Amino acid sequence: MEHNAYIPRLAKIIQIKEEVSGARPIKTFRTQFLNKNDFAFHCGQCTMLSVFGKGESMISISSPPLIKDYLQFSILKMGRVTSALHEMEVGDKIGIRGPYGNGFPIEDWKGKNLIFIGGGIGLAPIWSVLQTALGKKQEYGELKLIYGARTSKDLVFKEELKELKKKMIVHLSIDVEEPEWEEFIGFVPQNVTDKKPSPKNAITITCGPPIMIKFVIQALKDLEFEDAQIYTTVENKMKCGIGKCGRCNIGMHYVCKDGPVYSWAELKKLPQEY
Amino acid sequence: MKKILRKKSFLQWVKRLESYKIYAPMKDDDFWNFALINNPKDLNLNHSNTVLSPKKIIFPQREVILEFSTSNDSELEVKEILPEEKASIIFGVRPCDARAIPLMDKVFGGDFTDPYYWKRRDKTILVGLSCNTPPSSNCFCLSVEGSPHSKEGLDILMTDLGDKYYVESLTKKGDQLINLAKNLFEEPNAKDNKDLENIHKDSEKKIKRQIQDIKNIPAKLKEMFESPFWDEESLSCLRCGICTYLCPTCHCFDINDEIISSSPLKGKRVRTWDNCQFPDFTMHSSGHNPRSDRASRLRQRILHKFQYFIEQYQNYQCTGCGRCISKCPVGIDIIEVLNKVENYGT
Amino acid sequence: MVNLEELKENAKELLKQEKVKYIIGYKRGTNGLMPVPAFIKKPEDVENLIWDPLCIYNLTRFLVDEKRKKAKQKNPDERPVGLIVKGCDSRAVNVLLQEKFINREDIYIIGISCENTGVVDEKKLVKKLKGKKVKKIEFGKKNGFIVSTEDGQVEVPSSEILAERCQECIAHFPVVYDVLLGEKPKRKPDNPFKSLEKMESLSREERWTFWKEQLDKCIRCYACRSTCPMCYCDECVVDTINFAVTADTTAEEKAQKIKWVEKSPVLSENFVYHFIRAIHLAGRCIDCGECERVCPLDIPLRFLNKKLEKEAKELFGYDVGFDPDRPSLVSCFKEEDPEDFIR
Ligand SMILES: Cc1cc2nc3c(=O)[nH]c(=O)nc-3n(C[C@H](O)[C@H](O)[C@H](O)COP(=O)(O)OP(=O)(O)OC[C@H]3O[C@@H](n4cnc5c(N)ncnc54)[C@H](O)[C@@H]3O)c2cc1C
Ligand code: SF4
Ligand code: SF4
Ligand code: SF4
Ligand code: FES
Repeated sequence: MEHNAYIPRLAKIIQIKEEVSGARPIKTFRTQFLNKNDFAFHCGQCTMLSVFGKGESMISISSPPLIKDYLQFSILKMGRVTSALHEMEVGDKIGIRGPYGNGFPIEDWKGKNLIFIGGGIGLAPIWSVLQTALGKKQEYGELKLIYGARTSKDLVFKEELKELKKKMIVHLSIDVEEPEWEEFIGFVPQNVTDKKPSPKNAITITCGPPIMIKFVIQALKDLEFEDAQIYTTVENKMKCGIGKCGRCNIGMHYVCKDGPVYSWAELKKLPQEY
Repeated sequence: MKKILRKKSFLQWVKRLESYKIYAPMKDDDFWNFALINNPKDLNLNHSNTVLSPKKIIFPQREVILEFSTSNDSELEVKEILPEEKASIIFGVRPCDARAIPLMDKVFGGDFTDPYYWKRRDKTILVGLSCNTPPSSNCFCLSVEGSPHSKEGLDILMTDLGDKYYVESLTKKGDQLINLAKNLFEEPNAKDNKDLENIHKDSEKKIKRQIQDIKNIPAKLKEMFESPFWDEESLSCLRCGICTYLCPTCHCFDINDEIISSSPLKGKRVRTWDNCQFPDFTMHSSGHNPRSDRASRLRQRILHKFQYFIEQYQNYQCTGCGRCISKCPVGIDIIEVLNKVENYGT
Repeated sequence: MVNLEELKENAKELLKQEKVKYIIGYKRGTNGLMPVPAFIKKPEDVENLIWDPLCIYNLTRFLVDEKRKKAKQKNPDERPVGLIVKGCDSRAVNVLLQEKFINREDIYIIGISCENTGVVDEKKLVKKLKGKKVKKIEFGKKNGFIVSTEDGQVEVPSSEILAERCQECIAHFPVVYDVLLGEKPKRKPDNPFKSLEKMESLSREERWTFWKEQLDKCIRCYACRSTCPMCYCDECVVDTINFAVTADTTAEEKAQKIKWVEKSPVLSENFVYHFIRAIHLAGRCIDCGECERVCPLDIPLRFLNKKLEKEAKELFGYDVGFDPDRPSLVSCFKEEDPEDFIR
């Protein structure tokens, strides 16, 4: 009998890190399966996390596939399930099913310059592919990250970003001025315009709130990027994760199965319903 | 296998099938609905269209997916709950409702097969009844590649020839049912075959409603995504669940955890029908809703059936049963909407 | 008698003079016998308007949509909406006014008297005609309807096909309007709560069995709620229609939203849904009977609301929808209110 796609596997939380506190808190969780750790996935894929009694939420895997002994998720507290996750402690158990979605076509990007553009929690899905590319740096061209959040406190992976700066170009931004902030002030799309990345032999990968994505694409188009050079992820409400419950569709595509990764060339052909 | 069954032998046949669960249309005051038959005598095949289609038997409105609990030493336990179904027969399936089942098969099959659906589906035998007169005044099966005597999706098709039924078995499952009561069946003679042909031909003429030119519709709909047409057509829509819950092809669902006790934790994960006409169907946790108005929701229903499904599976996701038309409280009429689409802007 | 031409003329003038944004009335449908709601924007489309004994819908419900739509618009058209109402519908308008859900100046009410009859119950009509197709149905001169079928005309007494709610209607006459068509009727019902008698004569156990059977059928399509002009809450106990999430809505608020009713259409949840709905309609339901009419499973929902209407009448002397300035039943307390049912 084939595996029942609706039944999650049990996993244990082995580490919790508070990334952002305050009204819109973000925590990063690392989990290990109770039975075999044989979970294979691609960068950009997601899983359905279960808190039994509360429900399920679709969350991107933020660790790279190369890391085998744990899965990492960075989660913004939004509602029922994510709040319950935020209340959990190390050792607590959750359910995981997946992986779902198409993931990023990183094999096709070999030899290209990769420009990662993220806003807020949007760094989570980027992180997996960024780490993967960084691990095989020699196979790619120049790697660059343009990342921003509302305030400096809202940036995720603060320490990791410091480390990252030693390995690749990182441009950070915050929306409004703060004392001590030395980098760009303004929204992420403005930072993109400001840094003028070159479209030559480049691929951009954008994740963040829908409104940010919209303006980043605009900024990139102004910098003469081709539609096919721009990749983004789409978010829609999800329940099944396997293209059956019918709610996450944009046109004939189910974002859970056929997405969430799209090039702008593909996405712009679909109804703009996300 | 083609056979003749005298009407007076019908009851005996059903009695021979006692090892199966039997569903058939039953009358409840003013309307018909499929129900489990306890006494074969209750079986009556004079039904008009049932309120709900037999999809509710194969894909029930509610089913438990799994159970979870923590025991005293707080060990979390999760148990898969698959339906334990006895083989069942559904009698009196209208050809449009039968054609809806292969469409559901596509959705619940594919990359991730849905074990809950297939457990029931594999054990269900569909015995159809051709519609000598249309069971609803809004039937339009002929417009969507169906017919009042379509065999698609059925194991057996029965046709009423007056004092006897013409019984055509279409699958091995169907043969089995006939073989259980072989002696009750006769071979059809030339006149029976002729009668069958005439009745079938006649039944097509009695379908009054139609979509003008369905071939152009998918392409036309694609062009009309942004059109103000949808605002106009949806003005009176109440955002209720009638058109979708009653539709034999609509398959959308929700999954929720239901708690019996919170400490120690005990509960179920349950799947229930859901539908694209409810505002919170697509509403994100942030309150953002990609389909926040009636227009976009009506458009989703029509486009899913007449554009997206075609693009994905090369079939219309509508079999022309007419339920959504007859039962819509404000008379939103899918045939009329599509005919207007066809003529829109010309 | 209501003159359709007069109705059209009135509507046309309103649109021509741009006094109203649009007019909500009735027009012929394509799906069968029943008329459908019409939203008339242009004077020339007034020709589509109809008025016949099947104009049963309570169009007041569309004021809820209008209000939501307007709230979203930056520069809304401030003109009123024209609305055609019968007696019961007009009382729904009054309840919405009483609850300050709508403003009087936002609606232009075209009242239609049901005169000595009322509207027809579609199901009774279909049964009566035994499969014959209705071509036309009109109000008769006296107390009945003239039904034309392919076999010619028949006169059907109203007692045979009148909607039950009309049989028990206490005012077949708009109680609030800007223009009125037709005359004030003389008929008064013998007993406005007659339909309850049978139910009330049953024992507690029998009633329990009855409702268990009925509510077990419910598929929770919420058509009953969706068609009801009083069910205008953005957040219902069963789901969210228009959840107002702002930047200030916290994750806790969303996470702690109580699930009063599970989505499963099982008896216990169906009971909670219907009883909460009934209680929330006490002193608000004006008995337009729409919830019962739209139910695809023919659940006799009107009983529930009618019973509460009777309680309100007997215990508090409260009639629903006659006076928009009177405090609503459930939001006011009086010294002399009976308390003996509180245990
Ligand atoms: C492909 C994809 C990847 C995502 N990756 C991340 C991530 O890495 N980190 C992160 O913090 N968030 C991510 N999200 C968003 C996250 O899924 C929602 O914030 C979360 O489901 C909200 O659930 P809740 O129970 O806390 O909220 P509630 O408001 O209680 O929502 C109830 C249920 O509705 C569904 N739902 C509601 N909103 C959404 C939504 N926006 N997306 C999907 N399902 C929703 C879920 O099933 C949820 O359990 C992702 C969403 C998608 C679609
Ligand atoms: S189209 Fe009709 S049945 Fe469907 S949601 Fe709208 S009002 Fe309900
Ligand atoms: S869309 Fe309407 S007519 Fe078509 S199958 Fe569904 S309910 Fe029947
Ligand atoms: S209309 Fe009928 S079936 Fe639908 S929710 Fe109301 S009572 Fe239930
Ligand atoms: S989440 Fe169910 S179809 Fe995508």
